[in-house]
Amino acid sequence: MCGCYLAKAGMKVLIAEQHHTPGGYCTSFRRGKYLFDAAPHCFGSYREDGMMRKILKGLDVDKGLKIHRPDPSDTVVTPDYRVSFYNDLDKTIQGFQECFPHEGATIKNFFQLLQNVDPQSFAALRKLTFKQLLDQYFADDKLKAIFSIPLLGINGLPPSMLSAFVGAKLYSEFLFDGGYVPQGGMQALSDAIAARFQEMGGELRLSTLVKKISVQDGAVSGVMINDNDFMPSRYVISNCDARQTFLNLLGKDALTDEFSLTLENMTPTMSNYILYLGMSAGFDPPLNPGTFYYYLNDYNVESAYQAISKGNHSEYHGFALRISPDKSTIYTGMPANYKSPLYWKRNKYKILERFISKIEEMAIPRLSQNILYKDAATPHTLGRYTLNYHGASYGWAGTPSQIILSCFRKPPFIRNLYLVGHWTTFGVGISGVAYVGFDTALTIAKRANKKNVL
Amino acid sequence: MEHIEKEIIAILSDVSGVDEQEIKPDTDLAKDLEIDSIKAIEITVAIEKKFKISVRDEDVPKIMTLRQAVDLVSQLLGQKNTANVKS
Repeated sequence: MCGCYLAKAGMKVLIAEQHHTPGGYCTSFRRGKYLFDAAPHCFGSYREDGMMRKILKGLDVDKGLKIHRPDPSDTVVTPDYRVSFYNDLDKTIQGFQECFPHEGATIKNFFQLLQNVDPQSFAALRKLTFKQLLDQYFADDKLKAIFSIPLLGINGLPPSMLSAFVGAKLYSEFLFDGGYVPQGGMQALSDAIAARFQEMGGELRLSTLVKKISVQDGAVSGVMINDNDFMPSRYVISNCDARQTFLNLLGKDALTDEFSLTLENMTPTMSNYILYLGMSAGFDPPLNPGTFYYYLNDYNVESAYQAISKGNHSEYHGFALRISPDKSTIYTGMPANYKSPLYWKRNKYKILERFISKIEEMAIPRLSQNILYKDAATPHTLGRYTLNYHGASYGWAGTPSQIILSCFRKPPFIRNLYLVGHWTTFGVGISGVAYVGFDTALTIAKRANKKNVL
Repeated sequence: MEHIEKEIIAILSDVSGVDEQEIKPDTDLAKDLEIDSIKAIEITVAIEKKFKISVRDEDVPKIMTLRQAVDLVSQLLGQKNTANVKS
């Protein structure tokens, strides 16, 4: 996104992507007649005045895309409740209030807080955890768990660790205004952005690994790409894993001691174990196709997190699941720790079979009878394709002490180096990283005295 | 006070990309500088780091203009100095 807007501002831009397809986690792949999204399946913040709509519209990318939004977009399922996020937010509030009538007024207040458009008030959540925020509003532990289950599924953190600001942002931009699916899968979105970038004069080199960021007199001077070609440049913008950027591409000697220590102490998010299922023509699921479901068979989100963070998958009784609108595929997953490539080589298919049994037990009886294709991506797979450290899903973990650290976006010790993407600590999810890319392009264009990119 | 204002203007300019000369005491951070919630946190953290103070959560919503930011920082620095004298 940053490259697009810099090209729009009239700058000469090269994007070097190590994979053979643009998009990073936002890619899709085919297996026979089945089309699967590799990781995320939808994006948020696409309402009339939403950030994602503004950014795509500014590039004229939205015109070529057909975007669909299921209703409900998301549903949380527990042993006693089934609570949905509808396109109509009042209907969503009503659904929560019907399940928890004794918390009716506070539910409305809580939703109002999450929709708050006053940036300073929203910013006041910065030091709180999501648990502290929930405790300020609610007494019912089951309701608090229901608010936390989707965030564990999305971000891999329990409420006691997740920043209230990040949790509130995920609610306002991804759950209240989420579920937007491009026709043709997420690859269609990435391809449309890449095509627009090239139309505006940008150069896109795929299967091109950056090996080094060169620094001269305290400022970036260019990058070395895979066949040892040096590409001189005034600005370098890294969308890579932060550890890759700082430790491999720049090298430890280029860092200050203070920053090295900060980097060393940062914790990444967990990765995911994702199951891709191709279904038979007669598959008739008891769930709404298109809707994303979050299942947990108890209300202890903290112990669910403990189980998955220790790799005890058999003790984690939850998952997220989506049946494609045409019912031909199922995408399902759960947060998972990296462990080691050998662990996943030995356990990938054992976990796959147990996972299918768990879905049969909790959501779709006789699922296995309708499966014609099955495969899984492990944290190792996700790390291998995207070079994200240990296959981390969302960059650094969104804890209160790890949000909005400007040194991960614009390191103060090297001039003209910027980072974009989910390792900056500034943006979560697709709309969040789109915002970081867009905003970084604005900053650079202004500094380079280029035309207004909007 | 002048020194505080100058430093805060530099922070606001850096985060918003708006020239320092355009930032006046009554400049509204959200409306005039397009400061969103993420940038509001970035500004608060930068102010804390620059002046070695801690801004309480309940004070963050009070920083709506440059003047309010300067007043809050002056007040917090005053409290800090008083505490240092007492200790």
